Amino acid sequence: MNYAEVHPNVAAFALGGLESEEAAEIQRHIASCADCQSELEELWSVNRALDAAPPPAAPPGYLKGAILSRVRAERLSPSSKAGAAEASSSVEAQSRSHRTSRINRFKELRLVLPSAAAAALVAVMALGVFFGFLREEPPVATIQLIPTPQEAAGLKGYWGVAEIRPQPSGNQQVELKLNNFDEPKANSYYELWFVSGDKRISAGSFTSVGKGETRVLLNAAPEASRYQTLLITEEHVGKGSTSGREVALKGDMP
Amino acid sequence: MMTRRADEPSDEQLMINLDGAGVEVALSKLYDRYGRTVFGVGLRVLGDRSMAEELVQEVFLKVWRSSGTFDPARGSFSTWLYRVTRSVALDLYRKRARRVRPVSDGQLHIAAERDSSAGPQEIVDESWLSWRVSRALEVLDAPHREVIDLAYFGGLSQREISERTGVPLGTVKTRTASAYRSLREELAVQDSSREAIR
Repeated sequence: MNYAEVHPNVAAFALGGLESEEAAEIQRHIASCADCQSELEELWSVNRALDAAPPPAAPPGYLKGAILSRVRAERLSPSSKAGAAEASSSVEAQSRSHRTSRINRFKELRLVLPSAAAAALVAVMALGVFFGFLREEPPVATIQLIPTPQEAAGLKGYWGVAEIRPQPSGNQQVELKLNNFDEPKANSYYELWFVSGDKRISAGSFTSVGKGETRVLLNAAPEASRYQTLLITEEHVGKGSTSGREVALKGDMP
Repeated sequence: MMTRRADEPSDEQLMINLDGAGVEVALSKLYDRYGRTVFGVGLRVLGDRSMAEELVQEVFLKVWRSSGTFDPARGSFSTWLYRVTRSVALDLYRKRARRVRPVSDGQLHIAAERDSSAGPQEIVDESWLSWRVSRALEVLDAPHREVIDLAYFGGLSQREISERTGVPLGTVKTRTASAYRSLREELAVQDSSREAIR
């Protein structure tokens, strides 16, 4: 192999992503090529930097809206000078343009207002309860799920995060976010376990969509809160409790 | 390989808009560009999702409140935002170190200072490299980001990436080389601004 053939492959070689024959050929070339050696050194420095990369996770969707709401509220609050000025001018403009019609409609509103206010109060309370119910509680633990070194060779491309939220009932709710998690084989499914020593509690079974992100919501019994390890296994339909079980991902509580 | 369109306002222009009527649009765009990085670095150095969310919220509120202190002559917006993030992360770290919390056995424990996260000096040391890598990855476009995700984080070989994505093997190799080149250049550019973060 000459330089022109090897050069585009040095990055793949640095990643360890070439087939063994090709890798051996490139290694032979690099041993005698100063340019490629220097290139490889720099690529390894990129690898070392990638070790410090944050986990591939995005903030929850509601967060941006919450931040913008707080900004809006602070801008309109009397303690905010600019906000107060802006709010004041806005209110003044609205006040001018609607003054006449407001006066004309005042008598009608005087009758309608008490009942409308009561209705609005009930609606606001109902919405508060509704959104309070929907509001996502922050998790108490975020666990990175990765293949164990023993299994990593055969389980490439998997990466996941589990967020645990204890429920008022004591159940442990687990939200799984799995990246590029292959679909299970035919007649198989995945199962999530809380593990402590040789004891296990299942949080339920699921499947995945393969490429891209798979999100799953599962629940385990309250006792699971004392278990320190999470395992995702691939289970085969119709087989015994442990036969054929393959560990796909593992993570420990922080 | 930059993902931002040429007609999009720069970070610095958006910072100017934070002072006017377009504040929410400007802050929203800055959040879209940097929210993942702030959150990811928070997860990395604080080791806790709820604290990382708090970090994101406090950082972007501080960006709005302190936009007047940003001086583009002293460094890029990214570097300034990193300093804000580091400062808020240290505050959250100290707050947690003081926090008393109940655990499942019913007793009270002081939260351990190094359970699942870094200490103050580590936050300073690790967060800058973590920030730089995150920003370098953010500027890759989707096809180049995909090969790095699958190859580095997923451990797939070039042939496996080709089979999984349906992209010819030669193209996968070219994209890998190109993505590495971009990462290397981006990391070098950001490292040159090290002085600006002190």
